Amino acid sequence: MEVRLEDVWFSYDGRRYVLKSINMEIKGGGLHVVMGPNGSGKTTLLKILSLIYKPTRGSVIVDGRSYWDLGPAERDLVRHHIVYVHDKPILLRGDVWYNVSLGLKLRGFNNYDYLEELIKRYGLSELLKSSSRSLSAGQRRLVSVIRVLALKPRVLVLDEPFNYLDSSRVKILLEDIIAMAESSLVVIATHYVVRELRDNAVKMYELVEGSLRG
Amino acid sequence: MAEPLVDIVARSIYISLAAALIAFTFGALISLLMLVTPRRLSEMLIGVFDALVGAPTVVVGLIVYMLIYPGGPLGFLKLLYTPTALIVSQALVALPIVVTLLYRYFEQLWSDVKELVLSLGAPAGKVYPLILRESPPALIAVYLIAFSRAIGALGAVMVVGGGIEGLTNVVTTAIALEVLLGNYEYALALGGILVVLTVGLSVVARAIGGLVWR
Ligand SMILES: Nc1ncnc2c1ncn2[C@@H]1O[C@H](COP(=O)(O)OP(=O)(O)O)[C@@H](O)[C@H]1O
Ligand SMILES: [Mg+2]
Repeated sequence: MEVRLEDVWFSYDGRRYVLKSINMEIKGGGLHVVMGPNGSGKTTLLKILSLIYKPTRGSVIVDGRSYWDLGPAERDLVRHHIVYVHDKPILLRGDVWYNVSLGLKLRGFNNYDYLEELIKRYGLSELLKSSSRSLSAGQRRLVSVIRVLALKPRVLVLDEPFNYLDSSRVKILLEDIIAMAESSLVVIATHYVVRELRDNAVKMYELVEGSLRG
Repeated sequence: MAEPLVDIVARSIYISLAAALIAFTFGALISLLMLVTPRRLSEMLIGVFDALVGAPTVVVGLIVYMLIYPGGPLGFLKLLYTPTALIVSQALVALPIVVTLLYRYFEQLWSDVKELVLSLGAPAGKVYPLILRESPPALIAVYLIAFSRAIGALGAVMVVGGGIEGLTNVVTTAIALEVLLGNYEYALALGGILVVLTVGLSVVARAIGGLVWR
């Protein structure tokens, strides 16, 4: 898959641009890392890449077609391959199993083998019946990460995925991310340098006050 | 001899359940309409409803009185000093809080669920079933809050109901009357029941609502 941002600008309030003339191209596979201080626009950029936000100006080209010019049905088809993990996980009312299997259910899948493997791997088995409200920040993060890993997406976009995770979970997640990047596109935003990411990245980007330094 | 306590309480509950239902139905419609009106306008309207939440109930009663007294524009309906007049006035008293609570709730829920569905690469149409699944506890909570606002609206029911025994005498009007007559024990018993109904229900409502209000 190929996602290209062409001269993308974004403003939340119609006055101040938090992204300015972003040009970016990600394709095939590999790990892409976006770095930058708090407030530099990483989250906004990732949500545009993930087809969640529409740019105020500029285009998002997915496999040669301008995404925001497509009709609703075609947009659903394109978005199917691109998933995003929020920096602040969004969980629904219900137990952990409901939340962790939501991605698969919404797509009409009913093969849970790989999901169950991931649940064991990240040590969430004991929590499956717990209410989503009772989870710690780190556990919420794990749920939101596992539910998208289970989808085996072609494009995986992760926003500060290591926050609140303990070191053993960070290690497992790094392994999974690096393994996934062999066949898929993985984009990660982080505000601090992680050596393993830098060593494995096909490209590093630096975002400073809404402008990209590739 | 004063009217039997059970009769007064039963009448209060019945009238307030009906008033809360009307307030809830119209409040839900208004808040949903406000969600699809331009943001500038809806923020202005919500400011108005916010201010109305604390409006003196006696003024609400006065406005309804002006409409339904024999010489008023709706005088021909002969509603003054009837249970219907109580229901209408109490519904108006409860309406603003229903609108503000539901508007804020749906606004947040809509944006969370939409981001969640899009981030999972699921079809955009999945937003609706998820919102339906997520909202019942909050809706019940808002209905109970409306009920407790309605049943405590002394000023309004005094003006349009007059506290007629066997017809429009409700817990609040009965308390006011019995205190004037010096029947303090009877008034206190009614007061206790009212506190249990309003405060108790509010606590229950917020507990239920807490299941979803993050
Ligand atoms: N929902 C929002 N409404 C208004 N401004 C926002 C919103 N989200 C982010 N911003 C602003 O946009 C800028 C970039 O934010 P963000 O993309 O979250 O940066 P980062 O992820 O690098 O910390 C910041 O100045 C932030 O205050
Ligand atoms: Mg961020």
